[in-house]
Amino acid sequence: MIWFGFGFNGFGQIYSTAKESVSDGDVEVKVFAPVKLSDCGSDGEKRQQLAASWSRAAVLRHGGHSCVRLCGFGSDPSRTPRSQGCRDALLSETHLTLSFTDRTECWSLDQTDSAPVWRMDHTPQESAELSAALPLVPGGYVISAPPFFHRLSPRLCVVSLALGVEHAVLLSASGTVFTWGSSSHGQLGHGELCREVEPRPVEALWGVAMRGVAAGGWHSVCISGGGDLYTWGWNESGQLGLPSRAVRRGTLEGAAGAGSDSREVFISIQAFPALLDLPQEAEVTRVSCGSRHTAALTGAGDLYTWGWGEYGQLGQETGCSSDQPVRVDFFADQGLRVVDVVCGPWNTFVCAEETDPTPHPDATETSHLSTTLQ
Amino acid sequence: MSTTMAHVWPELQGKLPHTEADFPLQFSEKVEPSIAFVLKQARCQLYSGENASLLEQNAQIILDFSWEKLNTGTWRDVDKEWRRVYSYGCLFKVGSLCHGEASEAKLQEAIKTCDMGLLMGAAVMDNILQTLVGILQNKVKKRQPGEEDSNEEPAVKRVKGVSASVPEISPVAEIPRTQCPSLERFSMDFLALQKPVILKGVIDHWPAFKDHCWSIDYLRTVAGCRTVPVEVGSRYTDEEWSQTLVTVNEFIDSYILGKEEGGHVGYLAQHQLFDQIPELKEDIRIPDYCCLGEGEEDDITINAWFGPAGTVSPLHHDPQNNFLAQVVGRKYIRLYSPGESDKLYPHQSQLLHNTSQVDVGSPDVARFPDFVKAPYQECILNPGEVLFIPVQYWHYVRSLDLSFSVSFWWS
Repeated sequence: MIWFGFGFNGFGQIYSTAKESVSDGDVEVKVFAPVKLSDCGSDGEKRQQLAASWSRAAVLRHGGHSCVRLCGFGSDPSRTPRSQGCRDALLSETHLTLSFTDRTECWSLDQTDSAPVWRMDHTPQESAELSAALPLVPGGYVISAPPFFHRLSPRLCVVSLALGVEHAVLLSASGTVFTWGSSSHGQLGHGELCREVEPRPVEALWGVAMRGVAAGGWHSVCISGGGDLYTWGWNESGQLGLPSRAVRRGTLEGAAGAGSDSREVFISIQAFPALLDLPQEAEVTRVSCGSRHTAALTGAGDLYTWGWGEYGQLGQETGCSSDQPVRVDFFADQGLRVVDVVCGPWNTFVCAEETDPTPHPDATETSHLSTTLQ
Repeated sequence: MSTTMAHVWPELQGKLPHTEADFPLQFSEKVEPSIAFVLKQARCQLYSGENASLLEQNAQIILDFSWEKLNTGTWRDVDKEWRRVYSYGCLFKVGSLCHGEASEAKLQEAIKTCDMGLLMGAAVMDNILQTLVGILQNKVKKRQPGEEDSNEEPAVKRVKGVSASVPEISPVAEIPRTQCPSLERFSMDFLALQKPVILKGVIDHWPAFKDHCWSIDYLRTVAGCRTVPVEVGSRYTDEEWSQTLVTVNEFIDSYILGKEEGGHVGYLAQHQLFDQIPELKEDIRIPDYCCLGEGEEDDITINAWFGPAGTVSPLHHDPQNNFLAQVVGRKYIRLYSPGESDKLYPHQSQLLHNTSQVDVGSPDVARFPDFVKAPYQECILNPGEVLFIPVQYWHYVRSLDLSFSVSFWWS
């Protein structure tokens, strides 16, 4: 498995040539095409996981001596929190959250503390029951600001939780999607712009069991059991894959756009979930959101991106935004299939493996699904 | 296409602190070390002057980052620190645009950048963006005559929607007029009783009526290249309604002179234009009657309302007393006293609770049967007249001509 990155590299979190120097010319701030992450190449066999904040990336190596390595802003190894044995990691602009079999810890990245700013111990029973990924912890979820821990009702039977800038998207064991927080840009999907304090089921999705959720800055995405994609919230840069006025205006600029249809319907805020078809009606297996872009992975191992592209986060070799899903051809061209995707706020990280040359497509498909969907 | 180049940088530089060390960059801990690092990097590049494109890139990172913060939570709740960071981003961008020889296009972009900072940011370094935009505007203005006029066709001088139908005012409902009353008279007869009145002869001396007579050409000269917020759509209660940022020249071309296709109404409404462009503030005076209020003069909110015939402000009320001064064109205005609120069907939502659901222009009597029972007063406000709208008085306003009004909210 090889990790690639593209998009915002202002702190060298994707790759850096020189020592510490950042945003002063030695480093390419905008990475428009996928590049291999420098420190992931060596032990290609080990399973690795990645988390990203605006200015950093955290690579978690699994295996005997699992630990986290930080890249990007202020990534002095001596200041990286002790992470030996951690199972999962979550990164924000200010904190690194690590989960271990017996505890979850939240470390401040701005202070040189030798102890975590927050810690929660788990009983062996709790740990055994908890299979879900961060930010979920036994009994609730963790955020990177005081009070750090928020309780969740056990009746929700939560299996997955995604946090946006000011909203939350939760998936229950039965496939129901709940949202709460701010709905200033329609990101809750209830058709209203009112704030919700408690998790509220997204009624428009009732009857369709979901298997994955993701949250961007001000938008939300979920995947149905059949691999369909639903998006809602803010479409300011086309991050919903729906027609965006700002994106269209950008593409028309310079071109002789005299014949543009002024009656075209643009969507700025989508307050209810909208079904989004990928080209060739590809089945989606994974999705991840940046602050204003979205990346989806198909069962065939193709990566599609759309939304804000200014910093190269779409991987399309331009700084253009796109209001429709476009396949990132780089991986197929290199004979690679994509197996995982994780978006930072302004960048995208992708895990890919060599396409199996032996003709056993069915077997590959199944094993792939089982690894990515866990 | 302009090839004129200007060396504007030395003049701008003169307004900045002399050394990098004197250039302040102090923020609360809300501003994370990573973005603070980019700010410092940009400051260093501003003073070294070596690579304008790297400075521009860092300025854009600062703007993109703080813009996302400005869009988090309601506008009221956005931490002022992020509005300050946004202003610094604008300042660094202006620095990168004006380095070396700046083309006309770059100067225009620099002016727009200053305006974005003035509109969305918070003042930094003694409101340096206000100082810089004044310098930049002078550079552009000097080169404008002749350059643009040659391209302009005389046909576009027609003003959009000139003849809107003028409603008849029933004599019983007409708001009374009074000629320049003394402070005591106004205080006793109108302010104390919270009675609407039209004041005549109190703004005739404004330069806006005399040597700086407000005309389209005059506004182009003073403010043409400045960016302002514009409401598009006939009423702010409409689904289709939106706000956009355009230059005053673009606004005049599209919405006043009517080049805009599709019949959208544009309204430069409720904007504190006089804070943004101090030169225009010289053309108006705060009415003396405002001294009867308890607030300081600085607490008075002065808004500009500039648009073609046919702009509508739906029936609503404001939390302060209002002097609405009519400078250009006429407006039809209808008033309902606060006592009639139960017949006016205010919106239920928090955001619009000060606004009636009734479209005064064509009321839906089946949905709002009590509306027609509510007594009202009305008038056609002419240039040179000032309407006193007492606090919480419901008002509906529709322009009959190309119109420019100035409102003073005071308490």
